[in-house]
Amino acid sequence: MPFRTLLSRAVVVAAFVVMTVAALPRPANAQDGLQPLLQIYAEELAQPSRRTFGAVADALLADGPPGMVNFLRRFAAREVVQRPEDGLFFYAQDAGDLVRLIDVDTGDAVAEVSSRAVDQIRANSGVRRVIAAALVPFELNAPDRARREAALDAISRSADASQIAPLAASIAQEPDPDLQARKERLLLLLTAQFGADRPARLEAIAALGGDTSIEARSVLNQLTATRAEVASILPDDANIARVLTVGMDLTQAEAYAALVDAGLAEPAQTPSELRDVLAANIVEGRVGGVPIGRLSDPAARIAAYEALEQSGAVPPRAAPDEAARAVAAHVFYDRYILDDAEITTAAQDALDSTAQAIATYQMADLVLDGLSLASIFFLAAIGLAITFGVMGVINMAHGEFIMMGAYTGYVVQLFIPDYTVSLLVALPLAFLVTFGAGVAMERTVIRHLYTRPLETLLATFGISIALQQLAKNIFGTQARPLTAPDWLGGALQFNDIVGISTIRVAIFVLALIFLGVLLYILKRTRLGLEVRAVTQNPGMAASMGINPDRINMLTFGLGSGIAGIAGVAIGLYAQVTSEMGASYIVQSFMTVVVGGVGNVWGTLAGASLIGFLQKGIEWFNPSNTLAAQTFMVLFVILFIQFRPKGIVALKGRAAGD
Amino acid sequence: MAKTTLAPRKGFLSENPSVLRFLGLLALFTVIVSALAEGFGAGVISTSFLKVLGMTLCLCLIAVAMDVVWGYCGILSLGHFAFFGLGGYAIGMWLMYARTEGIVRESLANAPIPATETEIRDAIASQIFSVVGSTELPFIWGFAHSLTLQLLLIVLVPGLLALVFGWLAFRSRVTGVYLSILTQAMTLALSLYLFQNDTGLRGNNGLSGLQNIPGLLHLPQATVALWFFWASALALGLGYLLFAWLVSGKFGSVIRAIRDNESRVRFLGYHVESYKLLVFTLTAMVSGIAGALYYPQAGIINPAEVAPITSIGCMARSSARPVSACCQAGSPAAARRTSTWAFTRSSGRIGGWCCSALASWRSRCSSRKALAACSTTL
Repeated sequence: MPFRTLLSRAVVVAAFVVMTVAALPRPANAQDGLQPLLQIYAEELAQPSRRTFGAVADALLADGPPGMVNFLRRFAAREVVQRPEDGLFFYAQDAGDLVRLIDVDTGDAVAEVSSRAVDQIRANSGVRRVIAAALVPFELNAPDRARREAALDAISRSADASQIAPLAASIAQEPDPDLQARKERLLLLLTAQFGADRPARLEAIAALGGDTSIEARSVLNQLTATRAEVASILPDDANIARVLTVGMDLTQAEAYAALVDAGLAEPAQTPSELRDVLAANIVEGRVGGVPIGRLSDPAARIAAYEALEQSGAVPPRAAPDEAARAVAAHVFYDRYILDDAEITTAAQDALDSTAQAIATYQMADLVLDGLSLASIFFLAAIGLAITFGVMGVINMAHGEFIMMGAYTGYVVQLFIPDYTVSLLVALPLAFLVTFGAGVAMERTVIRHLYTRPLETLLATFGISIALQQLAKNIFGTQARPLTAPDWLGGALQFNDIVGISTIRVAIFVLALIFLGVLLYILKRTRLGLEVRAVTQNPGMAASMGINPDRINMLTFGLGSGIAGIAGVAIGLYAQVTSEMGASYIVQSFMTVVVGGVGNVWGTLAGASLIGFLQKGIEWFNPSNTLAAQTFMVLFVILFIQFRPKGIVALKGRAAGD
Repeated sequence: MAKTTLAPRKGFLSENPSVLRFLGLLALFTVIVSALAEGFGAGVISTSFLKVLGMTLCLCLIAVAMDVVWGYCGILSLGHFAFFGLGGYAIGMWLMYARTEGIVRESLANAPIPATETEIRDAIASQIFSVVGSTELPFIWGFAHSLTLQLLLIVLVPGLLALVFGWLAFRSRVTGVYLSILTQAMTLALSLYLFQNDTGLRGNNGLSGLQNIPGLLHLPQATVALWFFWASALALGLGYLLFAWLVSGKFGSVIRAIRDNESRVRFLGYHVESYKLLVFTLTAMVSGIAGALYYPQAGIINPAEVAPITSIGCMARSSARPVSACCQAGSPAAARRTSTWAFTRSSGRIGGWCCSALASWRSRCSSRKALAACSTTL
């Protein structure tokens, strides 16, 4: 949760608390407000001392009005002044040259006076610690849950050694199990960070090992923070994290720069500095006796500089091998900022075990990512698995059917404002639209080209460009939004590392449904039987009373219709543009080919392989998805070399050829 | 077969008068366009249109290459425009390097101290690569200073890529549709590679300013465009001659046989893979040359030119005609029609696409007459 939100909630809660508490009956002295109570301890407040102030703060907080906590905070922050005339306390606020006095009870500005007319109360650090210690338990044990929570928030925001004891004391009294767990955890963090008791601290640090939360990791990272240092010999007393090897851990240039920074070496002269020095010493077309014309040669430049050096015109220049010798004479190491070797070792061990846990979670996250990408590829390719895989038609316009489906979803949203309803309407409608488009295309173009796959490729490619242009003419070139309903907007977060957005889960589920429906249609229905019959042997199928024309038309329509539904799903998380289909078409073909033509399971295998592979390669270099895609395509090319028929190759007569 | 070996073989040209006809037409076209061009003072044809014509001739050259590899050998390669782009990149690297070098030397000439070669190289690198946030010259630019080496790379890089890719693909007997999709994947991989900023070819920005030829900067663009037009025409003529000669003899019969029935040719004892590999590599090299002539006229090259969709598009543009025609009619007529076809590139876009779809469809369902009618309406 962002810090700002937390803060505003804390403020709201605090205001609420103040209002409710103020309504309660109060003891007589408290009803008069803070000022009378403060006056009782005026002397101690005016001259606060570390030794005595604890008792005063406790007494003030014990039966003070709710504003007392706030007062003490501002007191510690040196915002309280005393007016010498009447001894009253005020909050001070800067108002230009003057100080604005604010009543501690009402919060109204009382007067503006010169800063010399009031005494600022200077609470020293000892007093401030006393106040902080006094305040935290007050808040931690507050009757109101929200206030306790706010106190815990405050501790986790600015952790401090003084909070350990009150926090530990408050755990036993905590009625709320959630908060109690949180307090225990916070105590663990605080102990690991500041604990004075060494065994307890080591134990706390060890307990943080394997904890993948950001707070635990930042505590451990703080403990193991290092500073790069350099010395002529490795110091014995320093808490060394590791010794750096020049050439392996840092380059020669970096090492020399570190030496220069540490004041152990002179900055080396760069070529451009050399040039500038030479340029400043040109005398009658010569530098140190060397004609300018020859200075395009680096050796001549050095000779010229040395001549200048001998004449005393320029300071001596470091010999070229001096840098190397200086680096070799020194040792470079990382030193723990914390000197306590036992603590840093324990923290490092804990961090190492955390790293293992993180690696495990990251692997889980990678698997989720891969699964989600695989399901997107599967969705995009599943329609193609029918038209290309089962029928053998290369439909380059397949991507445009995806685009059509997405635009159908967009148009439906224009008419139905409720996103859930519109999505439910859009899915079947997209199927119908693209089914119609597919049937029309099959009837007019593809029917004539069944024996000519390569010509089909060109014809459908032409159609795909035409459809793209059509979409551009109708919807314009800018991206159109296809908004997901709210219940698809969130994310499924397992912990700080593993998480997946709900929309991707939905796409995964949709892919599974598609797989099931398609398998059912192909394997269990009359249509599926006829489709398989026609694709295996059209002539024989026709003689058995099946109408191949009708079956081809329906099959192509089914594949196109599924592409339309996939388009709605893809449009939900990507932008709907006229070119969105084109970006999927090559991947889709690769998916089908890698998986093995003529088999829905093959498409699933191909999509999984490509999806996981791409995420896996991305993992090595997360910033460069393009490189991952490049390597993925190269892998696919190599893969087809070794399994030209794909992962799930058809055997026997069905394989054709 | 027996007849050709027994009968005294006549000259290649006298056996194929259509080649002469094509070359004559090409020469006539070149002369007429030159005479009308701005460079010669007539000014009927503007410099920009002259460049379009020159680019069209380059497209014709790659169309002839596609014709051989697809129409004669039956390999539908969607990767030849990747080779085309590689040729363009190869010449573009020299053009850009040499021109930047000129600018850098000029600006450093006024410095009080003459610059060293390292300084000049660094300055060139930072000029070229500042757009992608780098100041170092990538190692693939190692030959960019030399025109001769870079000219060699125009044929070597596409040739080598085609050789390796073709060897892998043909060896494992990937054919037909699968091969098309494989070549498409290769094109995709190449364009994704080129799109990256850190691969040393300026990523998305591509190479630009290629119309400024180093050493010819004092000449007006009209003259340079005319020279490139002649070079394109010459390359087309030579390429056509080469391929016409190649397909006219026994070699041509073998590759046509491979197209019609690969297995039978293999059973007859021919090493099918070698034939296919040779055709694939040779056409890739010619594509590289076509690209190297095309992009200086276009002025800019970027990875989008190599993207699979563009490649299929260009291919559809440049070879729908020769393929559908040459499978039945033979190449000379096809190549001549190719030139008209490639013209549609500069004409209305969507119309062109529809026609490409229409043409390949009609060629199947009806006779070539429909096709001819289609071409005249263009």
